[in-house]
Amino acid sequence: MKMDLEQLRKTAAEVVSRDDVRYLVGWKQGTYGYRVAPGFIEDAAGAAELIFSPLCTANLATYLTLAEQLPVPRGEEPDDRKVALMVKGCDSRAVVQLLVEKGIERDDVVVIGCPCPGVIDADLLAEKYPETEDLAEMKWDGEDFLLIHGGEETKIARDELLAEKCRLCRYPNPIISDIMLDQEVETWELAEDEGVQEIEGKDVDERADYWAEQFEKCIRCYSCRNVCPLCYCQDCVLDRLNPTWVNRSVNFSENTAFNIARAFHLAGRCIECGECERVCPANIPLGKLNRKLAREVRDKYGFEAGVDPEAEPFQASFKPDDPEDFIL
Amino acid sequence: MTEKPKVGVYICHCGINISSTVDVDAVAEFAKKLPNVEVARTYSYMCSDPGQVLIKKDIEEQGLNRIVVASCSPRMHEPTFRKAISEAGVNPYFLEMANIREQCSWVHEEMEEGTAKAEKLVGASVAKVRLLEALETKEVDAEPAALVIGAGIAGIQSALDIADAGFKVYLVEKTPSVGGRMAQLDKTFPTLDCSACILTPKMVDAASHPNIELLSYSEVEEVTGFVGNFDVKVRKKARYVDFNKCTGCGDCAKECRVKDRFPNEFDQGLGKRSAIYLPFPQAVPAKYTIDAENCLFLSKGKCGKNPKCQEVCGAEAIDFEQKDEFVEFKVGAIIVATGFDPFDASRKPEYGYDDYPNVITGMEMERLVSASGPTEGKIKIFNGEEEIEPKEVALIKCVGSRDESVGNEYCSRVCCMYVAKQAHLIRDKLPDANIRIYYMDVRAFGKGFEEFYDRVRRENVRYIRGNPSEIFKRGNKLVVKVEDTLTSRPLEDEVDLVVLGVGLEPRADMREVMDLLRLSQSPDRFFLEAHPKLRPVDTATDGVFLAGCAQGPKDIPDTVAQAKGAAASAMIPLARGKVTINAQVAIVNEATCRGCGFCVNICPYTAIELVTVNRFGNEVEVARVNEALCKGCGSCSAACLSDSIQPKSFRDSQILPQIAALGVMK
Repeated sequence: MKMDLEQLRKTAAEVVSRDDVRYLVGWKQGTYGYRVAPGFIEDAAGAAELIFSPLCTANLATYLTLAEQLPVPRGEEPDDRKVALMVKGCDSRAVVQLLVEKGIERDDVVVIGCPCPGVIDADLLAEKYPETEDLAEMKWDGEDFLLIHGGEETKIARDELLAEKCRLCRYPNPIISDIMLDQEVETWELAEDEGVQEIEGKDVDERADYWAEQFEKCIRCYSCRNVCPLCYCQDCVLDRLNPTWVNRSVNFSENTAFNIARAFHLAGRCIECGECERVCPANIPLGKLNRKLAREVRDKYGFEAGVDPEAEPFQASFKPDDPEDFIL
Repeated sequence: MTEKPKVGVYICHCGINISSTVDVDAVAEFAKKLPNVEVARTYSYMCSDPGQVLIKKDIEEQGLNRIVVASCSPRMHEPTFRKAISEAGVNPYFLEMANIREQCSWVHEEMEEGTAKAEKLVGASVAKVRLLEALETKEVDAEPAALVIGAGIAGIQSALDIADAGFKVYLVEKTPSVGGRMAQLDKTFPTLDCSACILTPKMVDAASHPNIELLSYSEVEEVTGFVGNFDVKVRKKARYVDFNKCTGCGDCAKECRVKDRFPNEFDQGLGKRSAIYLPFPQAVPAKYTIDAENCLFLSKGKCGKNPKCQEVCGAEAIDFEQKDEFVEFKVGAIIVATGFDPFDASRKPEYGYDDYPNVITGMEMERLVSASGPTEGKIKIFNGEEEIEPKEVALIKCVGSRDESVGNEYCSRVCCMYVAKQAHLIRDKLPDANIRIYYMDVRAFGKGFEEFYDRVRRENVRYIRGNPSEIFKRGNKLVVKVEDTLTSRPLEDEVDLVVLGVGLEPRADMREVMDLLRLSQSPDRFFLEAHPKLRPVDTATDGVFLAGCAQGPKDIPDTVAQAKGAAASAMIPLARGKVTINAQVAIVNEATCRGCGFCVNICPYTAIELVTVNRFGNEVEVARVNEALCKGCGSCSAACLSDSIQPKSFRDSQILPQIAALGVMK
């Protein structure tokens, strides 16, 4: 994979210069180490900061709905220019799902597709190559990754660092895009979803014990909710005080209520980008939870979130021939 | 809520229905101690006039503003008590019913348990009633017109009644002619009136009535709106014959190049028709229709030099360019009279209907014995060598009815009598034939039915109790294999002709109508009425009514009675000119709604739409409820991820304290 940065920046500069584009959201180098930050580019010059590398794990689609809609001063018109967004395959599913849910309109967004050979798991990287304050870069190098740090290039085998979501990825190429930055990548052989299989191998009591242990750790920072591109209610029910569905104390019962409510709200909506698990400071394996539900929805109803912009939202659709054998 | 709630609690004995397992006085004492409760009383029948007076008097004397009635299901008497408190000046929606009968006294045997539960239920209702909001009932105008779908005897009768009352009726029929199944029948049991003779005048009336607009060969495409205000779109299928020019002379059919080639649907395929046809001689309207699938010109693009029909039509009515047309209109009520399908005898392969020509269905028998049928009423069969009059005739009842193996547990209600009638007609035409009827039971329950059954037996028709297991061929004869269950003797009965008394089934295309009008099916798959006893012609969709076999198998008298009932019910909104709309509708919190439209998708009444609103200068989409359509079912509320839509009187803030009072949660 030879993602041509010059090409990327040139395209981005063109897009952001358009009259109908307000700003562009892409990835840029962070302030230290392996960090990559979201870049909000408002002019052609800013486009020079953009990168696309195996370190670009974040799903930027969340900024489509995270952006605050400020009150428009009297006498002024709302800024209805488009937002340009760089997406990997997984991120594009979030865009599709947002379209399905009318979270965004197709005309509101310019999708810049980045075919993705797979990104790294930052935790694995930090484990093997300890954090550094100096800036470090990473590239795709054939099948493998190339770490560039302090003038030194280190080749790292793909399997060593590949993020879990990428091992299970069936959509490395963006599903929708207005501009595609590169040739499509070939899909790869899928790994078994060991995480979900591990859960499925447990009986009900074991599952309860497993999740009890996990949810005990939750500090209710709501990072999972905030990073999720599909958790975009302006007023989350789990924050409400009347009625108080989830109390504000951090304890096992309330933590469980929060995590289960969020998982159910995502059933048939989660696009498996893995951001919730990535940002969780307590290392709760939220991916397993959400992927399990996605799998149930796929197996039982033949529905997959974020692959068809014309689909009816799963949670709000009913087919007379839906299988009912597992309901009663 | 500005005024302080002053709650009155009224506990009903319901004779001994409640008081035998609930200590009503104890419940009243318990209720008196609940917050905001000013008075708690018991009475033998709270719904009776003195019971209601009790409540009204307390409202006047003690200034009560919230009422809890602990009695039966709100399905039963909520309207009664709403009316009562409203008469005493309290908003009718400041009422809460605690169901201490169906959900309490009837399911408990111990007084202690029943009383404890009744106390909880009353406590929960008191907790909720304090939080209810005053609601206003609204009215909207109703369109003084009706749509009747299906022009069999049910649809025709409903249409005529409504039209006679002075309202406009749109009568939509899928096939080229009105008349339906009844037009196919020969004689009708038990009086042996000629079916056509009693039906034809009604068919003609329906077509010529000044208030009826007959849309034959048409299908309802779309229905939107709500009771009083349905918007209907109908597709008038192309007949390829100019309706106004065609005189019905029939020259076209005589000259058609594919004359008498295709099975005539009306004669159950026993007779043949041309590609241009009139379904039957008395068809209304008497206008010809081209069957586009079989017409040479329409299907192949060529029919000789010129299509014959076009050449011979003196009225120049043939129009191959004709296209489907759409008509749109507004009605206040809809009657579904879509009828039934006869059971497909092929689904009982053991009876050999597909294999042996001399195994026929009851519907085919109707056409065979009919003077206007393909054989002009002669019962003749071909035994493999020659055409003969059958000597040995067997009729089998309950084919496709009361039969779990084909998924029909129900009784089709007409077969006992039509089989008896056919036995009589066969006896009439074949005086020397040996006729036997294989039966499971004989259900002759209608007026004059038992008498008719006796008459048929006196005419030397043998009733043999047994459900045949198989029919097979032996030489020129058909063999009915059966056990005579009264004598426990196995029989192999050699006969010439077998008539299968097929039952009635829901129409194969009923799903389309269900989707169109949001109707439900009962377990037998026929359309579900709103209540099996008290609302037999209503459906769950207000303003939509059922008539005839669409709702379940029935004979002609019952069908006509139901059709008249449906017409009377449909005329209520038309005559009143107004419809009351439910006040307990869902309401959207536009500040938190994210406009995802889940509620729009999930609403079974298409009551919600997304609208663009201005939110601090930004245009955003939010859900909005059409109060006229909303039934307050709460499905939207269940689907809403941000809890932004809730039914009035059932808001979280109202039902959670109710649940809390039950002691289920804190």
